Amino acid sequence: MSINQLIFRNLKKNLKNYYLYVFALMFTVALYFAFVTLQYDPSMDATNGSIKGAAAIRTASVLLIVIVTVFLLYANNIFIKRRSKEIGLLQLIGMTKGKIFRILTAENFIIYFSSLFIGVFIGFSSSKLFIMILFKITGVNAIATLTFSPNALIQTVIVFSAIYLCIMLLNYVFIKKQNILSLFKVASTTEVKKVSLLEMIIGILGIFFIIIGYYISSKLFGGDFTTMNELFLAMIFILGSVIIGTYLFYKGSVSFIFYLIRKKKDGYLNIHEVLSLSSIMFRMKSNALLLTIITTVSALAIGLLSLSYISYYSSEKSAENYVAADFALTNAEDAKHFKEALHAHHIPYSEKMIDVIHANINMEKILDTKLKELKVDPASMPLPIISDDDVEKINLSPDETLFAGYNDMMQKFMPLKSSGQIELKGRHEVIPQKYLGLQKEYYISYFFTSGGLPVAIVDATIFDRLQKDMDMKPSVHIGIDIQDEAKIQEADEIFQKMTFSGNHDSRLAMSSNQKRSMGLSMFIVGFLGLTFLITSGCILYFKQMDESEDEKLNYTILRKLGFTQGDLLKGVQAKQAFNFGIPLIIGLFHSYFAVQSGWFLFGTELWTPMILVMLLYTALYSIFGFLSILYYKKVIKAAL
Amino acid sequence: MYILEATKIYKSYGNKFNKQEVLKGLDIRVEKGEFVSIMGASGSGKTTLLNVLSSIDQVSQGTIKIEGKDIVSMKEKQLAEFRKRHLGFIFQEYNLLDTLTVKENVLLPLSITKTAKKDAEQKFNELATELGIYEIKDKYPNEISGGQKQRTSAARAFIHEPSIIFADEPTGALDSKSASDLLNKLQKLNQKRKATIVMVTHDPVAASFSSRVIFIKDGQIYTQLIKGEETRQTFFQHIMKTQGVLGGVQNEH
Repeated sequence: MSINQLIFRNLKKNLKNYYLYVFALMFTVALYFAFVTLQYDPSMDATNGSIKGAAAIRTASVLLIVIVTVFLLYANNIFIKRRSKEIGLLQLIGMTKGKIFRILTAENFIIYFSSLFIGVFIGFSSSKLFIMILFKITGVNAIATLTFSPNALIQTVIVFSAIYLCIMLLNYVFIKKQNILSLFKVASTTEVKKVSLLEMIIGILGIFFIIIGYYISSKLFGGDFTTMNELFLAMIFILGSVIIGTYLFYKGSVSFIFYLIRKKKDGYLNIHEVLSLSSIMFRMKSNALLLTIITTVSALAIGLLSLSYISYYSSEKSAENYVAADFALTNAEDAKHFKEALHAHHIPYSEKMIDVIHANINMEKILDTKLKELKVDPASMPLPIISDDDVEKINLSPDETLFAGYNDMMQKFMPLKSSGQIELKGRHEVIPQKYLGLQKEYYISYFFTSGGLPVAIVDATIFDRLQKDMDMKPSVHIGIDIQDEAKIQEADEIFQKMTFSGNHDSRLAMSSNQKRSMGLSMFIVGFLGLTFLITSGCILYFKQMDESEDEKLNYTILRKLGFTQGDLLKGVQAKQAFNFGIPLIIGLFHSYFAVQSGWFLFGTELWTPMILVMLLYTALYSIFGFLSILYYKKVIKAAL
Repeated sequence: MYILEATKIYKSYGNKFNKQEVLKGLDIRVEKGEFVSIMGASGSGKTTLLNVLSSIDQVSQGTIKIEGKDIVSMKEKQLAEFRKRHLGFIFQEYNLLDTLTVKENVLLPLSITKTAKKDAEQKFNELATELGIYEIKDKYPNEISGGQKQRTSAARAFIHEPSIIFADEPTGALDSKSASDLLNKLQKLNQKRKATIVMVTHDPVAASFSSRVIFIKDGQIYTQLIKGEETRQTFFQHIMKTQGVLGGVQNEH
């Protein structure tokens, strides 16, 4: 058999074993190429909108390279170890190390570069789909065109060739370093011994660290940390304690918990427990670092994706909070022009005007500033004030004040008590008032509320008194609502074309603006998350391939003893549920607590977007679990 | 009544053009409570015989009945079911699961038969004390000696009180002290529990512990020796003699 034949035969055999590797390679190339194509695509300018967007995409493509490189190097590492016996054999029959290296290089070259070109092709054909998705979520109305970008091709080929060189370098070092004997012995060994006291302590510590991290994260914005410095330290602490906790969890807690379960069984294990508990108990420990990285990055991906989806999802709702009508203006002249324009286009509308004055309010009795560095003086907070005449359904007596429209984020930093005494401070007089509580509705736009402060509603007589005392013309909120919802779009186009002298905003424009910027970051995070998901899923799968080879002997024994393939398969299913389930569930928990602690900074809706993201992630991730079960099925079948 | 009855069993490997016949029409009968050894040179087909008798491998032709049930016609699933209820195994390489403790390994066959935990406990205690592995019940296989491993393996074969126990070179990897130790224990269990044991071995010392020795050569039964009232020592001498006649290459006359 000539060397060429040898290479060819190896290829054929490897393709069958490593189809998932080839698939993952093609997929990552496709993703990268599609991404770079987007980067170079002229139609992207509409979505980028700013230098920030372009920079985000460039950073993301660098991150993409990092993920892909780490994955490919790691996968290669697994494969070369699996083939160490073969390498040893070739050396034994007298091949030089250099020659073996050349064979490996040739083999890899063929697999790698054919995958690369198929991947580029797939990436090219799917880039239109990606750009369509991007346009859809950012709300850009443009036609997605399919243009082949030579720049993207060159960049992809350069990046992946560089990775190929790295892989070859590692292979070279591996072959050089090993001698024949050690090559025959490379097969992994798991250490099986009793759970020691140290491991139990590590196990308990791991769970303890994770829980304490979760606990502090739930307190993060609860008011216990009062300066920016403390907040920052708390975040660092949470991050550290959760990551260390995760590592210790894999290192000790898993085997500790399983040990307790086994101890309770007192030696009487059924076949499913034999295959799942006892095997994972020893194996998870040796993969602790890998699993920690996978868990942490998954948590990061899920968390970021949830947060960006939350702000995307609630962009309409927050636009409603910021702009109190379809169109909000502050200048009567501007409003007149706009109304005339609406008339001209036969768009029916309703108008609402609210007088607003600003006065300092003494809120010492009801306010609890948590964050010292906000530098507010609770004894005189400048708040907008409106009269109850302008608000339907609210009628207050002269000594009562009601607050409305306080957003969740401010509520976290400056919580208001549910009732108490306040004072309205005019220029000369101070009017004591009874504070009645807080209403959710927003009556005036963000120009008046400095973005997040509540508005005080007082009785009309008090409003007049205060206004006279302040001796200044009230500013006015003019809200224009379009009666026919279908015509809002048209009205917005008119609105955008006009020039105004005062503050003005359109709710539609605001929400689509936010959708555009959040949509882009969601797209990028989603892209990175998907790549990471696929690569980490593949790595777990390869690890399982390795393990199944190690455990093949056990399957032989068990089948000789009379366990059927079905029995074993059920046990393996339980094992895979743990193997893939534990990192997934911990990742989900991490991201849940991360999102939980700060989601209100991003939007108004928590559950729906977060659960959607988590379900999607779980579904995609589970695919790899199923694939590994299929692989085990083959191994079990061949075991007897 | 015979507990194992194999008639005219043939086993060949390979295809039509390149056939390698390993078993050529063997007849074997084993009575309940017997301790039978099968001896023969390497390549005589003794391990193949054990594999087909124990349903791990399939015969090409012939019938095998265990407790009157024909195992040749059974489907894969039925066979597995049959193995776990009626057969026990002891292998040369111990074949213990190294992620399970001694006790867990021994109790494994009981978990299928849904034996109550209390009964299982009692059975284990008895058997483990008899085989001298009670003290190491919480150790893992890589922490104990070869002899202890093989006794654990034996305990696993006996625990569910199978109809027949098949042992494939059980002393093959043991030093002589652990080997005779194990064989003594097997002999005791055979007498005390009336357990039927079929053992393949090439070691005359091991064979001398059994009540009957069957010699096979080139896939056929060559002869057999019955211990009867002889002492183990004289039985051993007989086995040695027979093996001397049997062994070696055919004379080039």
